[in-house]
Amino acid sequence: MERSFREEVGKLRLGDGEVFHGEGILAVTKALLQSGVAYVGGYQGAPVSHVMDVLNDARDILDELGVHVETNASEAGAAAMLGASINYPLRGAVAFKSTVGTNVASDALSNLASAGVKGGALIVLGEDYGEGSSIIQERSHAFAMKSQIWLLDPRPNLPKIVEMVERGFELSEASSTPVMLELRIRACHVHGSFVTRANRRPAHSKNDRLSEPDFDYGRICLPPATYAQEKHKIEVRWPAAVAFIREHRLNETFDGDLGHVGILCQGGLYNATVRALQLLGLADAFGASRVPIYCMNVTYPLVPDELVAFCAGKQAVLMIEEGQPAYIEDALLATLRRHDANAVRAHGKDLLPLAGEYTGEVVLNGVAAFLESAGIGTSGAVGQLLSAKKRAAELLGGAVPARPPGFCVGCPERPVFAAMRIAGRELGAFHVSADIGCHTFATLPPFNLGNTVLGYGLGLASNSAMQPMFGRRTVTVMGDGGFWHNGLTSGIANAVFNKDDGILVIMKNGYSSATGAQELPSSPQHSEPKADVAIERALEGIGVGWMRTVDNYRVGAVAQTLKEAMTTDYQGLKVIVAEGECQLERQRRLRPQVAERLAKGQRNVRVRYGVDEDTCSGDHSCIRLSGCPTLTVKDNPDPLRSDPVATVIDGCVGCGLCGENAHAATLCPSFYRAEVIQNPRAWDRLVAGMGRSVRRLLS
Amino acid sequence: MSMPQRPTTILIAALGGEGGGVMADWLVDAASRSGFPVQSTSIPGVAQRTGATTYYLEIYPVPRETLGGREPVMSLTPTPGNVDVMVASELLEAARAMQSGYVSPERTTFVASTHRVYATLEKMQMGDGRFDGARALEGARQLAKRPVLFDMRELALANGTVINAVLFGAMAGSGALPLSREACEAAIRAGGRGADASLRGFAAGFGIAASAAAGGATAPGERRAPVRPGARSPLDAQQVIEHGVERLKEYQGDAYADLFLQRVNSVGTSDAALLAETARQLAVWMSYDDIIRVADLKTRATRFERVRREVGAQGDEPVVVVDYLKPGVEEVASLLPPFAGRRLVAWAQRRGKLDAYNVGMHLKTSGVAGYLVMRGLALLRRWRPHSHRYAEEQQLIERWLGDVREAATRSVPLALEIARCARLLKGYGDTHRRGRASFVGILDALVENPPMADAAAQAAAIRAACEAALADPEGQALSRQLGKKVIWLNPGATAAGATRSRA
Repeated sequence: MERSFREEVGKLRLGDGEVFHGEGILAVTKALLQSGVAYVGGYQGAPVSHVMDVLNDARDILDELGVHVETNASEAGAAAMLGASINYPLRGAVAFKSTVGTNVASDALSNLASAGVKGGALIVLGEDYGEGSSIIQERSHAFAMKSQIWLLDPRPNLPKIVEMVERGFELSEASSTPVMLELRIRACHVHGSFVTRANRRPAHSKNDRLSEPDFDYGRICLPPATYAQEKHKIEVRWPAAVAFIREHRLNETFDGDLGHVGILCQGGLYNATVRALQLLGLADAFGASRVPIYCMNVTYPLVPDELVAFCAGKQAVLMIEEGQPAYIEDALLATLRRHDANAVRAHGKDLLPLAGEYTGEVVLNGVAAFLESAGIGTSGAVGQLLSAKKRAAELLGGAVPARPPGFCVGCPERPVFAAMRIAGRELGAFHVSADIGCHTFATLPPFNLGNTVLGYGLGLASNSAMQPMFGRRTVTVMGDGGFWHNGLTSGIANAVFNKDDGILVIMKNGYSSATGAQELPSSPQHSEPKADVAIERALEGIGVGWMRTVDNYRVGAVAQTLKEAMTTDYQGLKVIVAEGECQLERQRRLRPQVAERLAKGQRNVRVRYGVDEDTCSGDHSCIRLSGCPTLTVKDNPDPLRSDPVATVIDGCVGCGLCGENAHAATLCPSFYRAEVIQNPRAWDRLVAGMGRSVRRLLS
Repeated sequence: MSMPQRPTTILIAALGGEGGGVMADWLVDAASRSGFPVQSTSIPGVAQRTGATTYYLEIYPVPRETLGGREPVMSLTPTPGNVDVMVASELLEAARAMQSGYVSPERTTFVASTHRVYATLEKMQMGDGRFDGARALEGARQLAKRPVLFDMRELALANGTVINAVLFGAMAGSGALPLSREACEAAIRAGGRGADASLRGFAAGFGIAASAAAGGATAPGERRAPVRPGARSPLDAQQVIEHGVERLKEYQGDAYADLFLQRVNSVGTSDAALLAETARQLAVWMSYDDIIRVADLKTRATRFERVRREVGAQGDEPVVVVDYLKPGVEEVASLLPPFAGRRLVAWAQRRGKLDAYNVGMHLKTSGVAGYLVMRGLALLRRWRPHSHRYAEEQQLIERWLGDVREAATRSVPLALEIARCARLLKGYGDTHRRGRASFVGILDALVENPPMADAAAQAAAIRAACEAALADPEGQALSRQLGKKVIWLNPGATAAGATRSRA
C-alpha cells in the first residue's frame, strides 16, 4: 500500500479530553468510533482512500470494539452494505469518492433512502471537485435532493467536522434517513487538532451479535410499500430532520454590525468567506466579522425559517454556493418569495462564477463585488492583491507549460502504450476506448492514446457500438481495478454474450494503483504461491476464446501481439493480459531487499539506462514514445549543435523500456544499458579486466 | 500584545516524490512546538510520482495559551497577493506560482530552486521546446519582495539528502518564518529516519538564505543560474571553422577537412553570421552519423569513463555496457558501393521492405567480443568515401551549398534561412528519412522553385516551413505549409496519419 498508517492508528485510541493532531480524514475515522459505529466500509478513491487504508491498519482496535470492516468491491457494494441499518439499530458508515462513486452507488442509495433506516447511516463523500480533481465536475447535491438523503457540509476545521459526524448519526436516526457528509479535497487533507472523546462500543457488534431477524414489509422497496415510503419521507422524515437541525443549531449564524447586509455560505466555504472579509478589512483573525454570516453546515434540507430570519430586514444578501446548478440559491429565492420577504436583494451567481471551484481568489472577487454593490467600499483592495498576477504575466511573457501527473518512473503501463503507438504505425490508427486508472494518463502527451473515457470499468462497455462501426478492429484498455469493480460483467461478459470482435487490453499491475495501491482479488498477496491467475481463470470461465498474456516490457512482443489480435481470423473478443507489477509497489518491495544484500556484501547488479550524448541527434522521438520522468533533455555538449540531447537522470529504475523502444521502433543507437556490479566476485573482476585490457590495447 | 490581523501564509509548490508532504509535516510540527495554531492542507492528487502539486499552510504566530480560547480562522486555499512565503522546488513551478499571482512585491519571500526538471511538453518537441528559464528567474528577482533563489537540488545532492530539507532550511534562514531554527531542527529530528542527512541539508540551505538575508553576497547558486536554453554565447565564424576542421579530421582525415574549408570558402560571403551558420551546419552534416561513426564514438576510452560517471559506478565496481543496435537494409546499403547501395535501397523501397530486415542486437561493448565487433566497424572509416551513403550525402551537400551560394548574392537573410534548413537532417532510420524528406521538400518547393519573387517573403516562408517540419513527427504541419504531402513512410501509415488529423 502507498501509505501506512500503522503509527497514526494509535490516535484512534485517544480517550476523553485528549487532543488529536492529524489529518481530516483520520479525524473522521476517529469520530466514527466515537459515534459507536458497528460496521464500516467503502471503496478507495482520492480524497478518501485513506479512510479504508486507516481502517485496514487499525484492525486490532476495531476487533476490540467488535466493528466490522469491509473493503467493498465497488461503491455500489459499499452503499448496499448500509442495508444493515434498515432493520436493525446498527450505526454504519461508508466512504467513497464523489460524484463518481455516488453515481455507482446510486441504485443502492435510492433503495436505502426509500426504505429508511433504524440505525444511523452515514456516507462520507470525498468531494473531488476543483484543483487536483481527477474526475468530471458535478455536484453531490443532486443525489441528496433526488433521494432525500441529508447533506452535511461542515466548516472545514477538525472540531466541526467531528461534531458533524456525531450529529450526523443522530440526525439520521431522528429522521430515519441516511446522511451524507461532504468533504472537499483540501478538507480531507487538512491538518489540525480536536479534543477527543472515548470510543463508543456499539450495542450490537461482532462481539455482541444480533439474534432475531426483523421482517417488516414496509421496509421492502416494492409497491405498495414504496408509495408509503415516499409519503413518509415527505410527511414525517423531512420535517423531523428540519426540526432536528433547527433544535441542535447545526447551522450557525455569526452576527456583525453591518446588519443591512449578510452572507450565506456552504459550511465548507466558510473559511474562504472569512478570509475574503479579512482581506477586505471587515473581519479579524478570529473570524469576528462586521458582515453577518449564515453558515450552512447542512446544505440539504434547508431550514426555511432560519433563512427568512437571517435575510429579513436586510437590504442585500450574498449566497456563496460552489458548483452548478445553483440549487441552494434557487431554493433561497423561492423561500424568500414564499415568505413574502421581498425587500431583500439576494445575490449569488450574478456576482460569482456560475461554474468552477470557489478558490480564495474567486470568493474574494465575489464578496468585494457584493460589498461594492451594497455601497460598502473596499478601497481597491482586490485590485492591489491581484496586481502581482498581471505583473507576472508581463515578466514571464507567455503561459507556463502544464505539468499534469503521468506514469511513474518505470511504470509497466507505459511500454504497452509505446507498443500501441509502434503497432499503429503499421496498422494505421485505431479507436481506443480508455478506462479509469493510471492508464488514463495515456490520453496525455506524449501518447495521446484513448479516444473516450466513460467511467470506471466501463471501457469495454463503452466500446460496444464503436467496434461494429469501424472497418478495422478497435482496442479497449481496462485496468485490473476496473476489471474487478465491474468490468468483468458490464464489459467482458457483455462483449462475449454479444459476440464483440474487438480487442481488450487488461493492465494487470496487481493493485488499485491510482488510488494508492490498495489490494485487489488478484493482487500477488492474495494468490497462492504459484503465479496469480485469477483474472485469466475468470476470463476462461466467462468464455473468452482468444487470450494472450504478454510481458509489458517486451515492447516488440507486445506490438506483435497487438498486430496478431488485429489481423487474426478469430471472431470474438480478443483479450491481451498485459502483465507488469506496479513499479512503485515493486520498488517498495525490492529496495529493502537490495539494501540488505549490499549490507551483507552479496553480489548485486544495478541496471541503469543511458544515452550517448555524442550520437544522440536531439530529435527526441525516444521521449515521444516514453515520457518517463527520468528520460529528459540537457544542453547539447557539442559546440556545433544546438538542439538539446536526450539524457537519463538519477532515479532510473532500469525497467528497460528505453532499450526496447530503441529496438522496437528502430529509433537510434544512442541508448545503452549499464549493469553496475556491486560487491563483484573474482570472476566479475576478471571479465571486466579482460575487456579493459583489450580496449586499452586497441583504442 | 496586539494580535496580528492575519496568519503567516506559506504555499509550497513541488513535484511528486520530492518530499513536499514531509516538509509540510515539519512546518506543522515546528509551529506546534512553538505553541502556535497551525493548519496545513494539500492537493496531493493521485498516487503517481509525477506532476505538479501544492501544499498550503497557515501559522498564527501567537502562542495559543495567550489567545484566551479563541481560535483563528484559517483558509484552506491561498489567495493571490496574500502569500508570505512562496516555496517552489523547481524553476518552472516557480514561474507557475508567479503566473497564479502568489508572488507579490509587497508580501512575498520567494524561496525557489533554480534547477530545471523539464515537463513532458518541453522535452518531447523535435527541436528545442524548453521554457525560457532565464526569463522566469529574472522575473522572480523583480517580482518578489525578497527573492531567495539558488540551485537547491545541487545542494541537496552535495549533502546526501532530498531537496525538501534544503528548501526548509532556506525558508527558515530567510527569516520569513515565525519559527526559530531550533524548533525547525527539532521537527526534523522528530521525523526520525534520515534526520541526520536532512539536518545537513537544512543547515546548508539555512546558511545561504541567512547570508543573503543579512545583505551578504548573492547566494552562490545565483551565479550558477541557468543560461537561456539554446542561447549559449554563439561561436564566431572563425571558431566554428576551427571546430569543424578538427571534427572532420577526426571523422575522415585531413583531405576531408580540406574539402570542408574549400566548401566554406566557396560560399564567398563577407557576412559573418551567414558564414558561421553555413560552416556550422556543414561541419555537422559532413560528419553525418553512420554506423561507422557510431561505432567509433562508442568505442572511445572517454566514452566508458563517461558511462561510469553517468551511472554513478563507485570505486572499482565493474560496469557492463550493452549497446542497442538494429541495423537494417539502409545501414547495409550505406556501406556498399554506390551502384550496389542504390539498387538495394530501390529494391527494398519497391517492395516496402525498407524496415523489414532490421536485426536487433544487444552488443556487450565493454566485453572483448563486443568491443572487437564495434572497433572493427569503426575501422571501416577508410572505406567510407567509397560508400553509397557518402555519395548521396556529398551530392545533397553540394546542392544545398549551391542554393546558399546563389541566395547569398541576392539576400543574406535568405541565404541564412536556407543554411539553417540543414538542421532538419538528423537522426537515424525513420527519423533521418523524415528529416531528409522535409529538407528536400523545402529545397524543391521554396528554395529552388519559390512561388514568390521577394527574397524577404521567401526567407519567411522557408523559416515557417522549417518550423512546421519540427512541429510534428507526422509531417502534417509541413504538408500544410508546402501545400502537398511530404511522404517518407509507407503509404498505409501515412494514410493513418491523415486519419488521425481528421479525428
